[in-house]
Amino acid sequence: MLGANIRRGAATGPLPPDVPELGRYRLRRTEDEVTSYIGMVIFLGSWAMMFAALFFAYAVVRVRAPMWPPPDQPALPFLVPGLNTVVIAASSAAVVLGVRVHARGRHRRASLLLGAGAVLGAVFLGLQVLVWVGVWRAGLVPSGGPYASVFYALTAFHALHVLVGLAALAVLAMRARARAATRSAVRLWGMFWHFVGVVWGALYVAVYLV
Amino acid sequence: MSTSAQALAEAAQPIHPPPTSFWRQYVFSIDHKVIGKQFLWAGLLFLLVGGTLAMLIRWQWAFPYRPVPVLGQIFLGKSGGVIGPATYQQIFTTHGLVMIFFAVTPVLIGCFGNFLIPLMIGARDMAFPKLNMYSFWTFLLSQLLVLASFLTDLGSAGAGWTTYPPLSTNVGTPGLGQTLVVAAIFVTGVSSTMGAINYVTTVIRLRAPGMSYMRLPLTIWGIWLTAILNALFVPVLGSAALLLLLDRNFGTQFFVAGASAVRGGGDPILFQHLFWIFGHPEVYILILPAWGILGDVLPFFARKPHHWYKGTVLAMVIVTVLSAMVYGHHMFMTGMSPLLGEGFMLFTLLISAPSMVVVLNWVLTLWRGSLRFDTPMLFALATMFVFGVGGLTGLFLADISMDLYLHDTMFVVGHFHFTMAAASFIAAMTGIYFWFPKIFGRRLDERLGKAHFWFTFIGITLVFGGQLLAGYAGQQRRLFDPFQYTFIQQLRGLNRWTSFFAFALFAGQFIFVWNFFKTLFGKAAPAGANPWEVTTLEWTATATPPPFHNFDRIPEVVRGPHEFSNPEVRRLTGRDFAGQAEVLPGGGERGLAAAKG
Repeated sequence: MLGANIRRGAATGPLPPDVPELGRYRLRRTEDEVTSYIGMVIFLGSWAMMFAALFFAYAVVRVRAPMWPPPDQPALPFLVPGLNTVVIAASSAAVVLGVRVHARGRHRRASLLLGAGAVLGAVFLGLQVLVWVGVWRAGLVPSGGPYASVFYALTAFHALHVLVGLAALAVLAMRARARAATRSAVRLWGMFWHFVGVVWGALYVAVYLV
Repeated sequence: MSTSAQALAEAAQPIHPPPTSFWRQYVFSIDHKVIGKQFLWAGLLFLLVGGTLAMLIRWQWAFPYRPVPVLGQIFLGKSGGVIGPATYQQIFTTHGLVMIFFAVTPVLIGCFGNFLIPLMIGARDMAFPKLNMYSFWTFLLSQLLVLASFLTDLGSAGAGWTTYPPLSTNVGTPGLGQTLVVAAIFVTGVSSTMGAINYVTTVIRLRAPGMSYMRLPLTIWGIWLTAILNALFVPVLGSAALLLLLDRNFGTQFFVAGASAVRGGGDPILFQHLFWIFGHPEVYILILPAWGILGDVLPFFARKPHHWYKGTVLAMVIVTVLSAMVYGHHMFMTGMSPLLGEGFMLFTLLISAPSMVVVLNWVLTLWRGSLRFDTPMLFALATMFVFGVGGLTGLFLADISMDLYLHDTMFVVGHFHFTMAAASFIAAMTGIYFWFPKIFGRRLDERLGKAHFWFTFIGITLVFGGQLLAGYAGQQRRLFDPFQYTFIQQLRGLNRWTSFFAFALFAGQFIFVWNFFKTLFGKAAPAGANPWEVTTLEWTATATPPPFHNFDRIPEVVRGPHEFSNPEVRRLTGRDFAGQAEVLPGGGERGLAAAKG
């Protein structure tokens, strides 16, 4: 506890002469950054409970269903969503790199990488819309029983999170270009983006594959 | 004199100039003290709404089919003041929802959490002041949604506070009112989550130097554990509300059973799972802050350190963990596997062990103390009593074989009113009377406070005691006209008397309203920095009411929260208490350490 306070706010002070690794010294977090990091971890844990509850609902409904998918309803595609898994993983990778170079002060490159993350997020949404249109045309509508309910509710709720995340990444990319994005904002939105990606992974396996 | 730890804390939380514009100062404020007051006003206002609804229910049970005096003319003009069955459904539904989500939660968690956490841990504000502001305005939006639901064509929500499908789907309760209320639950959940993230982070990060976890006032422990439960389980309620909204508005079938043979159907019981996974922790969400407040107020007015502080903390932590593992006891009657049921019964009964540690520690704190019977102390003692009754009746309901008979009777209603309503409400009153001087700078009138206390304590005991008796005699809950059943007709007198006590209880609350405004706008003298002569930081390390930045210097905490009646402190200062950050004159610290061994 006391130790935590002793580190607090030291980042802006003059460099002590005996720091062995200057690069690492510059990268260490200020106390405010640690605080927002902890807040973000708690938020993501909290939000994970929300998705966990949705998956629980899915499990209960599915266990009760006589057949899954029902014989008179189309099976879900798994290739396009599979491609989407690759897209969102690539997007997360771009954001990882973006956060890293941004922390090292290379704003232009960070802007490009975050922008790439946002574009890949948009590609993800586009492909998701394709999937929706495809299954809708094949006759699966939200009111078509629990199978359709689960599919539309889970994918739509997730897509909403993708939308929020990619909007934030786009804004951050523009701000980073103007050297106005804070290190904390880039890092925390990056965490949110990875969270959305991990949820997608679970969703892909649970909804499309199993 | 200041230590290096203090200097670093100062550097991390610099003093910002207070806002000057009216809007920034009082409306869109990011000051945790102002936000706490906003939650207090919003909560007390809805306490009045929820209380009025309760009176309407009581009127119906005392005098069914008779026009309601005064209120009936205002709100039920169309039916000539008589409460019809559909209106009755809406009244008891919204009474529960309003009281739990929009009255007790904002007062206990919104107001006390916001106001007290930074002041009691020695911080200049919450960790995320803006998030705090958003939390309040989101909460206000949810309250407005509830109010709006009353204005819709078919009236407000009518599916019970638990909102069970299929009654709460479009099949059972069509109309915009129910949809608006379910949306309000979702929105208030978002607000609670924002608040919870803020509280948890603030306690972890912004404790003043020397304020270790084992020196935290118990109030902060209670609110912190509540915030953890909120962060984990309110989102589960959020997803239940979300799926219900989808079912109502987009035709999905999560909770609508038996749609077709090959496609299968949704499961109404699924909603009960989701609801109670949240709902049981919610009970502790409402009671843990109350326990915390008692844990501080009892030693303050018994002038003794809290008995086995660490035991109480540990017990509260265990209760928090167990509370997540017992929700099935709300669902014994859903045809759940008996083995599972027994597991839930075991864990439920197990909770009484740590709860008893907490209660016994209160009793032992009082044991041979120099009790001061000021109003907050009276309310604290009353909380002990009503929580005791609530806890004991809980044992009946936790036991499956008893629950089969008592399920869905007024006994359940009496039980959860004693715990969630009475204990939480009276503890909230304890807190309001105790911290009123800190919040508004003046002390509430003692004589009016004591009158309010006796009305509240006796009223609550008789009203909810009457419910326990009616339930044990077999009266089901939620009945529009219970006396349609011959076996309940003999309970007419009991119900009528319970209603009279309820009216007296309600009338007694206006003493509090009068006291509140009289003190606020009257000529009461300023309370002074430490009117109750207690130890925690908000009373001993800053002014009353505190300045915008809370502490001119961030205090360095040197002792636990309940340093009372220590002979060494009395020798050095002439007082029977020492503030948490108080430096005693002349080598007092060493003397104290020696006295403690």
